[in-house]
Amino acid sequence: MDETVAEFIKRTILKIPMTEMMTILKAWDFLPENQLQTVNFRQRKESLVQDLVLLCESKRASLRDAALLDIICEDVDLFDMERFKSSFEKILRRALKNVTVSFRDAEENAVWIRIAWGTQYRKPNQYKPVYVVYYSQTPYAFTSFCHLKSNTPLLSQALTVASNHHKIVKMDLRSRYLDSLKAIVFKQYNQKFETHNSTMPLQETLELDMHMDSRIIHENKIEKERVQRVTQETFGDYPQPRLEFAQYKLETKFRSDFHGGILAERKEPLRCLIKFSSPHLLEALKSLAPAGIADAPLSPLLTCIPNKGMNYFKIRDK
Amino acid sequence: MDPYDTPESTPRHGASSRLKGYFIGATPLRKRLESVRKQASFVPTPPRRKIPQCSQLQEDNDPQKFAFLLHKQWTLYSLTPLYKFSYTNLKEYSRLLSAFIAAEKQKGLAVEVGEDFNIKVTFSTLLGMKGTQRDPEAFLVQILSKSQLPSENRGQKVLWTGWFCCVFGDSLLETVPEDFTCVPLFLANGAETNTAIVGTWFQETFDCHFSSLAINAFNLSWMAAMWTACKMDQYMATTEFLWSVPCSPQSLDISYAIHPEDAKALWDSVHKTPGEVTQEEVDLFMDCLYSHFHRHFKIHLSATRLVRVSTSVASAHTDGKIKVSLNISS
Repeated sequence: MDETVAEFIKRTILKIPMTEMMTILKAWDFLPENQLQTVNFRQRKESLVQDLVLLCESKRASLRDAALLDIICEDVDLFDMERFKSSFEKILRRALKNVTVSFRDAEENAVWIRIAWGTQYRKPNQYKPVYVVYYSQTPYAFTSFCHLKSNTPLLSQALTVASNHHKIVKMDLRSRYLDSLKAIVFKQYNQKFETHNSTMPLQETLELDMHMDSRIIHENKIEKERVQRVTQETFGDYPQPRLEFAQYKLETKFRSDFHGGILAERKEPLRCLIKFSSPHLLEALKSLAPAGIADAPLSPLLTCIPNKGMNYFKIRDK
Repeated sequence: MDPYDTPESTPRHGASSRLKGYFIGATPLRKRLESVRKQASFVPTPPRRKIPQCSQLQEDNDPQKFAFLLHKQWTLYSLTPLYKFSYTNLKEYSRLLSAFIAAEKQKGLAVEVGEDFNIKVTFSTLLGMKGTQRDPEAFLVQILSKSQLPSENRGQKVLWTGWFCCVFGDSLLETVPEDFTCVPLFLANGAETNTAIVGTWFQETFDCHFSSLAINAFNLSWMAAMWTACKMDQYMATTEFLWSVPCSPQSLDISYAIHPEDAKALWDSVHKTPGEVTQEEVDLFMDCLYSHFHRHFKIHLSATRLVRVSTSVASAHTDGKIKVSLNISS
């Protein structure tokens, strides 16, 4: 092993606090469990580091392995999968005696959870389980359709608490395809679908509800489709860049077709300061027209934000 | 719905002589809401609200007395009538509540040695804080900390303040049986733990019930319009509205601040009936704001939820919090 690599590994390990040492080494997964067990973790840190570096040398750690260790150390939010699982199960069991919980680790720091719900007196129904996929490095979890709606709050609570978050919000994002959800949510989605056509999203939302009565029709279908199309053209298909706010300083005269006489003689403009704030502003704005809260197309004052790379504006009458 | 919803009153801002004759008592609002609730069928609500020219408060010309009410955020609660409450027993109540608080604080809540055991509670009447003669007197409860050292006795710190009042409560007073005192509006400022303790004591002692008073968008619009209507020599703060947009999955808040002179100009242009504020005027005022916004952003603010209004006079939040900010000295 190169001198420089050894030195790099030594310094990296020295930076790790003793309380996190085992966790990080396990996460690094370069030194196998049985080897780690031969090391005395109670000795002085310098001696421990020396032992560990020797082990790395014997395993011929490369620069790449060392860099990986460095990355893991930088990752402050070390997620403990085992802790999550036990906490999750504990919360469910505390509330419901009859529940079956199973876990399966999957790729990309994901865990699949299967939950079969019972009641106080009945054993869990194994034929109607709920599946949850939680991506531990992200604040996202995907759940399958739950027949027993009454258990949803409990499930939400278990997920929230076990994953060390303080709130869970249900996204209005549903699809039969987990991968699509992932792509949207993890922003891996940047190009059009091959089969994309502008009315498809609308169809999906209309047909998702399997119990929909055929006697129910959608009003203003044409207008709704137009709105969808226009929104898509304005915002694109790809996930929006994440912004928290936009601010507009307006100095414009009051003008209204419906309120003719109001402020008609006033020459001075109205001085206003408008602030939009949202955890994800652009997505929020994009949702306004389809929700009926805004017209489509949305005002260019809002839609130009990503293009112009601005979110502070001063607007005056021309 | 709780039949004892309170008259929403803010302290008379006429403490400043510039603001003669405008009393922000929302009397007919209460009456109207009551009548809507009581009647099964839809009855057109009164479209106008008279601005009372004279009230009890005007007779009391000491603005300093109410100075402590200003510049503080008050959380509003509505309160059912108090059973066998007597204005002559205020000293006794002070003693009982002091003891109760001391007992509660010792019960395992965090106690800082020294300070919490030297608490004094005072009950006092707030003369003049009422709409008509019929209204019961308002009264004030304060939790003060007594300093350990005698030399510092003059500097008593007010830890918590709460006051109870009834303003233009005529319709409520008609239905209140004997032995009950009707002070349906309770305002609290200070730590929530103290509010809870005082509330518990009142509930146990007078068999009443507190509930949080939310202020809905309709009432917030009225407040915004009426406060904007106030003629001011000097504006201390901008007029601001906050809307919460029910879009998903992300929440969106829209804050709309307008220069107070411009807001006043808009109101003056809308306001046609002297001495009265009508529903149409309030609607038109808000509509103009919506329309100006829509012209720029193509968003319908009317489809969102008004959550907070703030003017130089006062501000109110839908969660039942108000703050009166008048500058008395001007």
